[in-house]
Amino acid sequence: MIVYLLKRLAVLLASVAAAGVAVFAFMAVLPGDPAEIALGVNATPEAVADLRARFGTDRPPVTQFLDWFGGLVHGDFGTSYVTSSPIGPQIADRFGVTVVLVLGGMVVALLVAVPAGTYAAVHHRDPVGAAISAVSQVGIAVPAFLAGILLVFVFAVKAQALPSGGYVPIADDPAEWLRSLLLPWLSLGLVQGAVLTRYVRSAVLDVMREDYLRTARAKGRGRMGALWRHGLRNASIPVVTVLGLQLATLLIGAVVVERVFVIPGLGDLLLNGVAGRDLLLVQGVVMVLVAAVLLINFVVDVCYAALDPRLRGAR
Amino acid sequence: MLTVDGLGVRAGDLELVREVSFGIGPGERVGLIGESGSGKSLTALALMGLLPDGVTASGTARLGGRDLVGVPERRLKDLRGRTVSMVFQEPMTALNPLMRVGAQVAEVMTLHGVAAGRARERAAELLGRVRLPDPERIARSYPHQLSGGQRQRVMLAIALANEPDLLICDEPTTALDVTVQKQMLELIAEVAPALLFITHDLAVVASLCERVLVMYGGRVVESGPLREVFKHPRHRYTEGLLAASRLPPRGTRLATIPGSVPAAGRFPGGCVFRDRCAHATETCETAPELTAPELTAPDLTGPEPRGDGHAFACWHPRR
Repeated sequence: MIVYLLKRLAVLLASVAAAGVAVFAFMAVLPGDPAEIALGVNATPEAVADLRARFGTDRPPVTQFLDWFGGLVHGDFGTSYVTSSPIGPQIADRFGVTVVLVLGGMVVALLVAVPAGTYAAVHHRDPVGAAISAVSQVGIAVPAFLAGILLVFVFAVKAQALPSGGYVPIADDPAEWLRSLLLPWLSLGLVQGAVLTRYVRSAVLDVMREDYLRTARAKGRGRMGALWRHGLRNASIPVVTVLGLQLATLLIGAVVVERVFVIPGLGDLLLNGVAGRDLLLVQGVVMVLVAAVLLINFVVDVCYAALDPRLRGAR
Repeated sequence: MLTVDGLGVRAGDLELVREVSFGIGPGERVGLIGESGSGKSLTALALMGLLPDGVTASGTARLGGRDLVGVPERRLKDLRGRTVSMVFQEPMTALNPLMRVGAQVAEVMTLHGVAAGRARERAAELLGRVRLPDPERIARSYPHQLSGGQRQRVMLAIALANEPDLLICDEPTTALDVTVQKQMLELIAEVAPALLFITHDLAVVASLCERVLVMYGGRVVESGPLREVFKHPRHRYTEGLLAASRLPPRGTRLATIPGSVPAAGRFPGGCVFRDRCAHATETCETAPELTAPELTAPDLTGPEPRGDGHAFACWHPRR
């Protein structure tokens, strides 16, 4: 178990380092020099060279990379070339909002998918089970931002029950904070929940055909008792895989939903950075997103080991 | 003790098992033999109340005064694992891969009212009783750490945990090595209370059982004491089955039964074996009853054993 975790941790750290190189290299080959952008088209070559020296972009790329990546380790993302303010605190602020948004969406997805998928599997011969499959099929076809707009139309415009957008920090007013996040959570969660429902359904169906479920019934467990005690944990293994992929998708997909609901998250910051040609900011945000996805994969691996004893000893 | 009368199993319009009747006395070991697709496993699952969805049983089966067929699931749950237990064919997939072996043995006891602590102790005892080495360690293992033979012993320990009246084994040794198979059979013979043993391996039946039921096409075509049926088979199907299991002298062809077992529901009307039987005549279009020889064999001559319960369903039995 310890060996497995250490190996996974090593893989995680190596991946983050490799991702750092990739993100840096990608931003470096993009056309556009920060100093030229900052000074505009009428700048003298001397002024540009002077500013480059100040930004440090006249140094060799390897030095720049080591300086940037070394800073990341301490939480220092550098200082924006455009606004001259430190990037780290901005990202930290925004990242918290996005994490809350994504995790809340995932919780909604799970609350929808686990009962609905399990019910659809257990009752796969009945009309209700088939109806759940059909509805989840429709849900898959709806993009999250469209679901968001529909939800805003119903709950904010028609019913006037919830705000159509905006974000209130939890420290200011917890009740308003909750109200401001409900619709974003629902629009992310319902769509992902529809996708997840199908995976939960097929995982539970697979498990229901397993011999050990028949063994459990031969011991004297009822149909549902056997499924509960012996089925759900087994069925959760394939679902965790999908969950990891979905979390990563949500994290990136939150960019759009943050726009729809005017939420100051990481996606919002990224779009602002791109619009303002704030290269170092964009580089920092992309790095954080990539690292978060890698971290999710690591957590999924840890979950596998926690769930399945066959993985613990083997590797 | 177990009395099965007119047991039938059907899936919608398909009749899979028909009119199966037999009894098993206390401590008696009965073999149920036949080719794949003859309805042996369905008969066993019907007795356990574990038929797949959409498959239903009819008729009666009583074990120690309690009904096994046509009873609500709630009542059957109480009997399963306590009064009647079953060991399945495939040991590799019959245990939950995510749960320690000891917990899986203990579970069958806690389900039927044994306190958790006591069940844990008993689990280790039982693992020792099925002759697993170092039962304490086995109890802490996960199924993937055990071999197929060891897992089947665990299954047997689970089946025996509540000291059931009847043990049903559905080809429990088919997936095992021959040497492991032998040990397993000896163990079953030693620990089983009354036993219903399902197999297509005649040698296994011969070494284990006192009485035998031969199934074909979802019916019992012949039944009786093991020696009697194996030495003097009367039904033409039993005759073919026994001939096929004998090793022929070098250079001669292996005896086989012509044709193959039809798909469920494709068996002929009348005698189910008549399309594969060399002795079939027009008479065989009417289904023969399973009865004792002196009553159903008008063409029978010569001295025959009597009163030993040797019965068969054939119009043209072997003499």
